[in-house]
Amino acid sequence: MLRILLINDTAKKVGRLKAALTEAGFEVIDESGLIIDLPARVETVRPDVILIDTESPGRDVMEQVVLVSRDQPRPIVMFTDEHDPGVMRQAIKSGVSAYIVEGIHAQRLQPILDVAMARFESDQALRAQLHARDQQLAERKRIELAKGLLMKMKDCNEEEAYTLMRRQAMSRQQKLIQVAEQIIAMSELLG
Amino acid sequence: MNETSVGPLAWVNGSDAPEKRAINLGFMALSDCASVVVAATQGFAQPYGLTLNLKRQASWANLRDNLVSGELDAAHSLYGLIYAVHLGIGGIAPTDMAVLMGLNQNGQSLNLSQGLQTLGVTGPEALARHVHQSRAKLTFAQTFPTGTHAMWLYYWLASQGIHPLQDVNSVVVPPPQMIAHLQAGRIDGFCVGEPWAASAVQQDLGFTLATSQSIWPDHPEKVLGCTREFVEQYPNTARALVMAIVEASRFIEQSAENRRSTAQLLSAPQYLDTPETCIEPRFTGDYADGLGNRWQDPHALRFHGNGEVNLPYLSDGMWFMTQFRRWGLLREDPDYLDVARQVQRLDVYREAASAVGVAPCGSDMRSSQLLDGKVWDGSDPAGYARSFKLHALSDDAPLLAQR
Repeated sequence: MLRILLINDTAKKVGRLKAALTEAGFEVIDESGLIIDLPARVETVRPDVILIDTESPGRDVMEQVVLVSRDQPRPIVMFTDEHDPGVMRQAIKSGVSAYIVEGIHAQRLQPILDVAMARFESDQALRAQLHARDQQLAERKRIELAKGLLMKMKDCNEEEAYTLMRRQAMSRQQKLIQVAEQIIAMSELLG
Repeated sequence: MNETSVGPLAWVNGSDAPEKRAINLGFMALSDCASVVVAATQGFAQPYGLTLNLKRQASWANLRDNLVSGELDAAHSLYGLIYAVHLGIGGIAPTDMAVLMGLNQNGQSLNLSQGLQTLGVTGPEALARHVHQSRAKLTFAQTFPTGTHAMWLYYWLASQGIHPLQDVNSVVVPPPQMIAHLQAGRIDGFCVGEPWAASAVQQDLGFTLATSQSIWPDHPEKVLGCTREFVEQYPNTARALVMAIVEASRFIEQSAENRRSTAQLLSAPQYLDTPETCIEPRFTGDYADGLGNRWQDPHALRFHGNGEVNLPYLSDGMWFMTQFRRWGLLREDPDYLDVARQVQRLDVYREAASAVGVAPCGSDMRSSQLLDGKVWDGSDPAGYARSFKLHALSDDAPLLAQR
C-alpha cells in the first residue's frame, strides 16, 4: 500500500483531492496544511509519495519542495489551478516530479502516481551518478595536491610520491584519499 | 603512477568515458582478493572516472546470486563459478557470463586435520591407505560445488588413487568458516585459499598436505567476473575497471614493501579481518606446512607476472569445463572452444592491458604439465576429459566398450 502524505495549500476546495484519493482506493496516512518544516514531517511520516494540493504554488511552497528534494527526497506530485508555464517550470526545477493542472479524476490518479514514481527514480539515479562524478573529481584533485606537496617535501618524482602515499595508506589500513588529507593538513600546519 | 600517453583525464572527458561510474565490486575474504581491494582503496580507478564500492560477500553462493541479479556489477570470482553459471550447472538458470581478466595464480592448498596427523596420516600414501582401509569415510570440505577448490581437491585425490566422489564425503563450507568447522571436528580435510589454511596451521588445528601450485604450477584461480550483459551495456566501464585492476596488480608486485603493506591492508576488519601474521608469510611465499617443513615457494600467490597472470587464456577456461565433464557435472561435451571464446573477454583485456602499458601476449592458449604428468594445452578438450583413470563420466558404457 502506497503511503501518501497530503499537503493542502488551498483554502477554498479543502478535501477535493482527498475525496478523489479515497474513491480510487488510496489511503492518506497524514494530512496537513502547508507547514514550515516539511522535511521533518517527511522524516517522521516516511511517505512513499507527497501530494501537494495548491491553487497557485507560491514562494513558500517552492521553498519546502526544494528542502524536501535535498534532505528527504521523495516523489512529489503537485495538483494546481495555475496555468502559467513559468510557475510550472519553477516547480519542476524545485523538484516536483509531476505537475497536474486542474481536473482531479479518481481514475487518473493511479497512472499519474506511476509516472511520478518512475520519473523520480530516474532523477535519483542521475543525481547519484552526478554526485559520484563530483566526488571522484574532488578526491582526484585532493590526491594530486597531496602528491605535489609530497614531491616537494621529499624531493622525489611523481611515481615515487604515489608509491609512498599508497604504502603509507595500506600499512595503516586506510584509503589513499585519507593519507592525502593528512598530508595536506600537515602541510597547512607547518605552513 | 603509470601515466598513459593520452593522459588519464582523456578517459574521463572523451568518448571513452565510462558509461557507469560507480561500480559495486564483490569479493570474498581471501588473500587473493588483494588486487581488487588495492585498486578500490588506493586511487587506481579515479583517473578513469570510476568509483569502486567494495562489497564483501558471506559465501560464494551469495556472491553468485548477487552477481547474477545485478546487485554486484563485477566480482572477485572462482573460475569454476563463472562457468557453472554460464552453463547452468548447479540448479540455477544459465546466465551468459564473462571473464574480464585473471586476478591471481596459485596460493590455495589441501589440508588435513590434527586428528589425522595424530594417526600418522601425514603424506599422500598414508592418506590413500587410510581411505581404503578405514570403514568410516573421511569428510573433505571445499568452497563451492564447481569451484576451483573442489577441482583441486578432486584432481589431487584422484592422482593418489582416491576417488573423490566415492571414497570420501565432500561438503561445501564458505572460506571464512573453514577453521570453525575444523575446530568442531566436522571435517577431516579441506581445500581453501589463504589465509585460512595458514591460520589452521598456526593454530595447530591442521597441516598442509599439498599446495595447489604443486598440482599445477601457476594454475588459474580467481578471475574478475561479470555478466555478459554488463560488458555489452558498459564496455568503457568494463575496460576502465580492468585497467585499474591490472595497474593495482602490477603495483602489488613492484617491490617487497608493496607486498608487505598490501598484506597489512588486507588484515583490516572490513577485508579479511585476520591477523597479519596469518596473511603475510604465504602472501610472500614463505610456507610452513605444520609438519616442521618450511620453504620459499617458487610458485607462490601472484597477481601480475608482467600480465601472464591477468590474460584470460582460453585454455584456462576450457580446463574447468573438462573437469566438470570428468566428474559428471556436465552430462555431455560442450563446444569447449566456442564456450571459452564467449566467456573469456580477451578483447577487453588486451585493449585495457595495452592502454596501461602491459604487453598483451598474443597467444590465446598456454601449455602446462600437471602433477600426474598430463599435459594440458587446450588442443583436445573432449579427449582430455576422457583420459583420466578415475572419473565420474555419466556415459561409461561406450568408454568401457572401447577398451
